Amino acid sequence: MITKSTALEVLNEALSTGADFAEIYLEEDDQTSIQMDNGKVEACNDTLTRGAGIRLLKDLRSVYGYTNNITRAGLLKLARDLSESFDGERVLQVKSISKVRQGKKHQPRIKYSDFPREELIGMLAKSSDACLAYDEKIVRCEILFAYNYKTVEIFNSNGKQFNDVHSRGRYTVTATARDERGIETFHNRPGAQKGMEFFLEEVDMDEEARNAAQSALTLLGAKECPSGKMTVIIGNGFGGVIFHESCGHSLEASSVSKGLSVFSGKKGEKIASDIVSAVDDGTIEGAWGSGNIDDEGNPTARNLLIKNGVLTSYLVDNFNGRRMNEAGNGACRRESYKFEPTSRMSNTFILNGKSTPEEIIASTEYGLYAKNMGGGSVNPATGEFNFAVNEGYIVENGEIKYPVKGATLIGSGKEVLLNIDMVGNDLLRAQGMCGAASGSIPADVGEPTIRVQNMTVGGRGGTVK
Amino acid sequence: MISYKKIFDKAAAEGLEALELYVSEERNLSFSLFRGELDSYNISDSRSIEARGIYEGRFGYATSEKADASTPDYLIGHIKQNARLTNSDDQSIIFRGSEKYRRKNVFNKKLQDTPVEEKIRLAKEFHNAVTSGSDKIREVEISYEETTGAVTLTNSYGLKLTGKANYAVLFAQAVATDDSGETKSGMIFRLVTDIDKLDIREAADKLVKDTVSQFGSGPCDSGKYRCVFGGNAFASLLGAFLQNLSSEEVQKNSSLLAGKLGQKIASSRLTVFEKPLEKNASFRYFDDEGVATSNKTLIKGGVLQTYLYNLTTAAKEGKPSTGNGYKSRDGKIGIDLRNVFVKPGTLTEEGLFEKAGEGVYITGISGLHAGMNPQSGNFSLIAQGYMIRDGKRAEPLSLITVAGNLFDVFSQITAVGSDQELRMNGYFVPSVLVRKISVSGK
Repeated sequence: MITKSTALEVLNEALSTGADFAEIYLEEDDQTSIQMDNGKVEACNDTLTRGAGIRLLKDLRSVYGYTNNITRAGLLKLARDLSESFDGERVLQVKSISKVRQGKKHQPRIKYSDFPREELIGMLAKSSDACLAYDEKIVRCEILFAYNYKTVEIFNSNGKQFNDVHSRGRYTVTATARDERGIETFHNRPGAQKGMEFFLEEVDMDEEARNAAQSALTLLGAKECPSGKMTVIIGNGFGGVIFHESCGHSLEASSVSKGLSVFSGKKGEKIASDIVSAVDDGTIEGAWGSGNIDDEGNPTARNLLIKNGVLTSYLVDNFNGRRMNEAGNGACRRESYKFEPTSRMSNTFILNGKSTPEEIIASTEYGLYAKNMGGGSVNPATGEFNFAVNEGYIVENGEIKYPVKGATLIGSGKEVLLNIDMVGNDLLRAQGMCGAASGSIPADVGEPTIRVQNMTVGGRGGTVK
Repeated sequence: MISYKKIFDKAAAEGLEALELYVSEERNLSFSLFRGELDSYNISDSRSIEARGIYEGRFGYATSEKADASTPDYLIGHIKQNARLTNSDDQSIIFRGSEKYRRKNVFNKKLQDTPVEEKIRLAKEFHNAVTSGSDKIREVEISYEETTGAVTLTNSYGLKLTGKANYAVLFAQAVATDDSGETKSGMIFRLVTDIDKLDIREAADKLVKDTVSQFGSGPCDSGKYRCVFGGNAFASLLGAFLQNLSSEEVQKNSSLLAGKLGQKIASSRLTVFEKPLEKNASFRYFDDEGVATSNKTLIKGGVLQTYLYNLTTAAKEGKPSTGNGYKSRDGKIGIDLRNVFVKPGTLTEEGLFEKAGEGVYITGISGLHAGMNPQSGNFSLIAQGYMIRDGKRAEPLSLITVAGNLFDVFSQITAVGSDQELRMNGYFVPSVLVRKISVSGK
């Protein structure tokens, strides 16, 4: 997007007052969205975002700025404005820039821009019909289909240039069921860092739409979930949000390096039950949170976070790594050029254990089977988290008995990891958007079916003793 | 930089029936302190042009952050393509203008002109006030974020409206540890348009008190309790409740408040206003379709006064828009509110505790994006707060959930507090007392 000579000039301008590192991140993102309501296309939008972010580091201080004006003059002005926050002498001059060659994974086979939009809309309308026809109680079907094509170019004061391309697509279907008992909604939202081939070959949108309808109907007939301490079986796939929220965020260098995380200084210590191992893996081909490089140019990696219950690694970016005397391990991400990058998760999941999901249910006397989880949040200082159960069932005497709604799981990350007593062998990943300091980024969560002892469940259906 | 005229010319040449440009410009200054020292510093300058146009009777949308010679072709080309793909029955309307607009100047030049060194000094002072507030405070993170936003709405009928506002948010998070190693955290924010009005001492005292008073917290017994919702918690519940006033939700079968106009939907103690013309950082005299906004009563003594309309939903019912058309996703106009106020009552927080006698005081709820279903009204949310015993605030609570149904909660408000102030979600609301809520703890 800019020439090497412009990049050199801008980097050196930025370094003029003593910064020890400078970086220019340029991005152009072509985004398309299609919104459908009950089979009618309500809006199609194309958005072109383009801009640059410049980051300067000096010891443990960072300075960041961004602009849409990526002309030489615009970037030089930004570099100058940013450099004014330091008042030292130059310590570094960049002499030349060389392009770093890296892998070319995660590329679309059928580009969205090459696939006829009329045909795509036809597919969406068909899935909407499948949803609405599923049952007469389904009163509304909303669909959002969004895809993008993003090119990234990074120059830094180590004399390096990096380039990457990301193309993601995601289908979101929301079914609303209504009868005399009330209104319930349910959504499914598969996505991948692949082209249109994902929706032609791997995902059946009609099936996703029917499943959403079925789940909304189940909720309509569900009892209120009872509350109290109980055994909780968390389903595979999006159930991994428990690990993402209760542990993943607390392993990010942004909070670990400042001593703000419950897991600060705990490397080598036991933080989870012996049967728990977990990774963050940004290298999985075509996965939602993957990339060839992270957003500061480091190659992505498969980082083993927990091995048999012992904390083995954090998620580190170069800047926060300075406080920890660790190098970045490919975990530095940002939503766009509008965000200063920091340590984040990519595709984070608990690894397979030995039990089958059937065994886990069969060996549970009484508990909640949280088959489908909603989102949640965590307080990184205390590790306290909460998340909603979208689709839950009560298990009695080893059998799934009846659906319940309105359940919330709460606890603290420290405790829940130690209370996992069964891990299934049915690992599945699911797509989410993870929001934190450097914006909202695509990230996979995942796990096999797991069982947690003695978890606090919130609900309106009376108290379990 | 291109002239907007070129985009309008291109639209006319390509046969668009009407075109609207919504140009937003934003400048940001933000920094944060860690252990009292400058830790990060951010500046930015960005602009986007959101365009929507009517072609063959339907809307097409396109947005660009790039503004050069290629922009008219990009915007108009995509608008035409996207309009052709749209088959919604909704009427497509670009607005010719309201009869009268109530412009006010809410831009504070002094805030912009105050040197950044002065703002950093203030943040450091804040940091020191928090750390010296208690020896249990272990870490303090302070951030300052100043935003200047300007929007220009212009369309092919010659309507041109502009607005500009700026404000600063000072945010602090404190982490405290006691002798037993127990960790608690608290946060506070102050939004100001006039930096001289910032009372650092008051904010620091409140943050320290809120943080250290949580030591020894734990869950209470599960059961049903009388409940005082603090302002922030109540504001979050109100936000979810008011989504049901959207005419779009009503028309699309997704609101439980459908057919309730003029009927009682909440306790008679509850009166809610929307005041977009209130002179503050959220002031807007026109909505995102160019319709003049107006102050209005949404709920009066528990009775629903109006649904909220944009041009499209209003046209469906042959009514005028209420000026609540705001951009939702990708340029499409949804329905939203500016400056929600709840009419305060007479009891102070302490007065509410006294009236409750025994119960819980919920200061914060979180996880609304997952644990709240605004359509059915069912919620189950992690909460924190205090017990109320003998009419007074007692021991702290954590790891509890409150669960209920919004419609029940709003009909069971038995008193509204006098502590109306700006809350985290931008609403001006007081605390309220609710007759009964399910709490699950131990």
